[in-house]
Amino acid sequence: MSERVPELRTPESGAEELGDAHRWGELAGGLTAADPLLAAAVGTAAEGGASYADVRLSETEELRLYAVSGLAPDERIEGSLGLGVRVLVDGVWGFASRPLRDSGDAAAAARDALRNAQAAAVGSRERVTLPPRAAECGFYQTTAAVDPFAVDAAARERVVADALAAAAAMAGVVRVQAGVNAKRSHRYFASTEGSRQEQHFVESGGMVLAIAAGDQIVQRRSYPNSFHGNTAAAGWEYVAGLRLTEQAARVGAEAVQLLSAPVVDSGTADIIIGPAQLALQIHESTGHALELDRILGDEANFAGRSFIGPDAVGQLRYGSPAVNVVADATVPGTRGSFMFDDEGTRTRRTMLITEGMISNFLSSRDSAARIGAESTAAARSDGWGFLPLCFATNVFLEPGTCTTDELLDRMGNGYYLDDNRSWSIDSQRLNFQFGTEVAWEVRNGKRGRLVRDFSYGGITPQFWGSFEASAGPAEFATFGMPCGKGEPKEWGFLSHGAAPSLFRNVRIGVA
Amino acid sequence: MPAETMQAWAGQDRALSALEEALTASSADQVEIFVAARTGEHTRFAGERVHQPQTIIECQVMVRAVAGTGSARVAVSSLRAARDAVIAASELARRRNGQGDTVPGNTVPGDTVLVDTVPAGGLPHGVAGYAGIAAPAGLWHEATLAFDAGARSALAGRIMDFARSADGVAAGVLTAAVTELAVVTTGGQRCYAAATEAGFSVTARAGEASSYVADLGRDASQLGVEERAAAAISQAAATSKVIAVPDGVHDVVFGGLATGELIGFLPDFGFTAPALAAGIGLVATRPDAVLAPPDITVADDATAGAGLPFPFDFEGTPKDRVELISAGRVGRPVSDLASAAATGGRSTGHAHIARESSPAPEAANLIMMPGGVSEAELIGGVERGLYIQRLWYNRLVDAEAGTVVGTSRDGCFLIEDGKLTAGLKTGRFTESVLGALARTDGIGSQLISQPVPNVWNGCSSAPAIRVRGFRFGSRQGKD
Repeated sequence: MSERVPELRTPESGAEELGDAHRWGELAGGLTAADPLLAAAVGTAAEGGASYADVRLSETEELRLYAVSGLAPDERIEGSLGLGVRVLVDGVWGFASRPLRDSGDAAAAARDALRNAQAAAVGSRERVTLPPRAAECGFYQTTAAVDPFAVDAAARERVVADALAAAAAMAGVVRVQAGVNAKRSHRYFASTEGSRQEQHFVESGGMVLAIAAGDQIVQRRSYPNSFHGNTAAAGWEYVAGLRLTEQAARVGAEAVQLLSAPVVDSGTADIIIGPAQLALQIHESTGHALELDRILGDEANFAGRSFIGPDAVGQLRYGSPAVNVVADATVPGTRGSFMFDDEGTRTRRTMLITEGMISNFLSSRDSAARIGAESTAAARSDGWGFLPLCFATNVFLEPGTCTTDELLDRMGNGYYLDDNRSWSIDSQRLNFQFGTEVAWEVRNGKRGRLVRDFSYGGITPQFWGSFEASAGPAEFATFGMPCGKGEPKEWGFLSHGAAPSLFRNVRIGVA
Repeated sequence: MPAETMQAWAGQDRALSALEEALTASSADQVEIFVAARTGEHTRFAGERVHQPQTIIECQVMVRAVAGTGSARVAVSSLRAARDAVIAASELARRRNGQGDTVPGNTVPGDTVLVDTVPAGGLPHGVAGYAGIAAPAGLWHEATLAFDAGARSALAGRIMDFARSADGVAAGVLTAAVTELAVVTTGGQRCYAAATEAGFSVTARAGEASSYVADLGRDASQLGVEERAAAAISQAAATSKVIAVPDGVHDVVFGGLATGELIGFLPDFGFTAPALAAGIGLVATRPDAVLAPPDITVADDATAGAGLPFPFDFEGTPKDRVELISAGRVGRPVSDLASAAATGGRSTGHAHIARESSPAPEAANLIMMPGGVSEAELIGGVERGLYIQRLWYNRLVDAEAGTVVGTSRDGCFLIEDGKLTAGLKTGRFTESVLGALARTDGIGSQLISQPVPNVWNGCSSAPAIRVRGFRFGSRQGKD
């Protein structure tokens, strides 16, 4: 090691504004403390011929306590500190990232990025012209009432152990996993355009998963979501509000009930989709389909393309006139909440689908420039190590005005389903098939018996064309989830939300 | 700015000495530390540009400390912080002492005698470790280091040019990487290995037709990227007719990549020690049962030459060859130290720590044993059926039945009279992988490898197979 990282711990400019939950780590010192590294990165890039360069300097710590029945609990705290530098040289991008070992790493990453851009020029006929932008500076932090990292270890342990025991109490449950998690991060951004940004995030979450087994049959139930539980941009108060023990008992019992539940025949039916499953439906068939990099072909080799074209705005009917989908990272409290995306664009509320018509895309500066539009601040990356790509932010189906009970009445006969069990959609985001952990028969507007192995499928615009109504804001829920994209595959952390919603004449029993 | 030769980020001497020094700070009963580092260079291209040329260096130093019945892990991203991580993990473990039952320790059963396998002077990138950890041949290849940014970008340009000349378009990624893992424990393990990695994938489109090719290995010179990419582009360009996948049951030849996707589900069917402990899945409920013809063997084998061989896992356990399906019968589960202790066995060297999940053993180097016929011969044996190169968004529906849902994607063709006659649009399937293996009557001779996402050094390698009777279309047959 040639040199230590500059002293970054001392709170300086901006740091006095930090909430208690954000006063930790090597990058708690604010922009003034971080600036030598940021300046070294963008300065080296500019001196090396970059017409544009940006750097993300980030420190993250994740705490996870998981317990699986029959095994000792596993608690881990994972820290990560590093930076990623992106350059544009003669219209060709280059990117490099590395963990931060010493102060020389900032310039070293910039040199690697320059080398990549210069090499890539050989293979590139098409060049990028990035519209100039004024410097954008700002400060953002998550509001956390209770610092999840300050919670006593015994309290964490108790929450997990109680949930594990509650779910395992039901005879027939053969395996339970329960866990809590927290994450905190400092993220600094600087660009050759003069932008200097500082964002500090805290997340908390929890989960329980019960697996029941009978003779040649296995069923599962989870809470609060089947994708690693649920995680919110909040403090430990979010975990406390989950009431994991009470819910664990419920999902354990439901997993056992599912073992003897009937399977629904294939056919068509009216269905009400609960918020957790609908969040994934939005993610797969709406969010991904509207990523502009995918639409333009950048992801053709891996994540795929889209049935939506770049000229769809105002032209393509995506769903029924009742469909209104918004991307809004200004909404606090979720994994998709932030002030600036990972290339420094200030977020704003953006309607993606208005009364069923495509009205905008999830875009980055690069992709937006190629269609002559402005970025919608959807360039997201997995920490410091990966390139920003177009990911969803907070993408919500706007709620309606009624209650779920009123929706059930309106539906009459059909099914209420929730919590994903399997998901599949083609590479154009058109032909999908989902299975849910749970579904209930609905007869005459009342929920009846459980049915197992429920599945439904459809073609995206036809399916959303059958959307009739959502319950109101009181029943609206958001779910944070990871999403994989890019080569190498990186995770985007984002959120989707919806209230229970009614769809007509959907194909069911397709799996 | 001249190209720099890719190097190991940590390096053997630096990694081992840093971990050993950090170990001295332990105040726990037992401590294990690993450093997993990777320098990955990726040249992504699409259409008319190299749009994402990247160098990504990742490094994780993870400490697991055990104090009485308490245990904890602490990870950092730099060797300079390894000592702090040992102190923090020891403290956390001591605080957790008294909670829960006994905690599995970190001593690999068996040989614990240090044998330095590194020649005098040391190799810059080699394998050091204990007796019992044998280095698979060919971990390190200079040809992969020479597959640098300049070479990859020039090749990407030629592939895009070739596609354009064929009235098509190509997108893909060309990768070179160096992967390292070092493990040091208070139980006496001390091992390090570094390996090169090269891979590529190319999707070619011409009108509605498409094709796809990919492969992965330690040695870039063995991949034949340009020739295989050109063949894929030519295949797409030569396809004049593209039709919908006919609903119904077909004889299907799956290319090696598609076969690899299918066998990737096998671990979910109960081939892990935790599933065995819970009484779930094939090993627990149908041990030694006949699943498939006797020429089908699927192993997790990081010691084989294919894919991404590697000698040991995060716990320093030598990687065993574990046959999940052994000559058509239900075989063994993979395990790590904790799950092996719970089931009364020895770890097979499959420790894995997935992001946002509990640590659990993972089959990371699946290989389906090849047969003796070419892919063309497999296709030639189908009167009317489908040739499927690539599957997509495959998800488990029913672990007991082995049912998976997914779609076909690029590079799929109708077979008529033993020949590819038309391209196929995307088709959906909901089928049992176990059923498909049971109905396999031909196995190709060439292994193709692909990465397994979200698994460290994850790779699956498989040949083409011919399945007699595989249903495309949903249960209603209306996809």
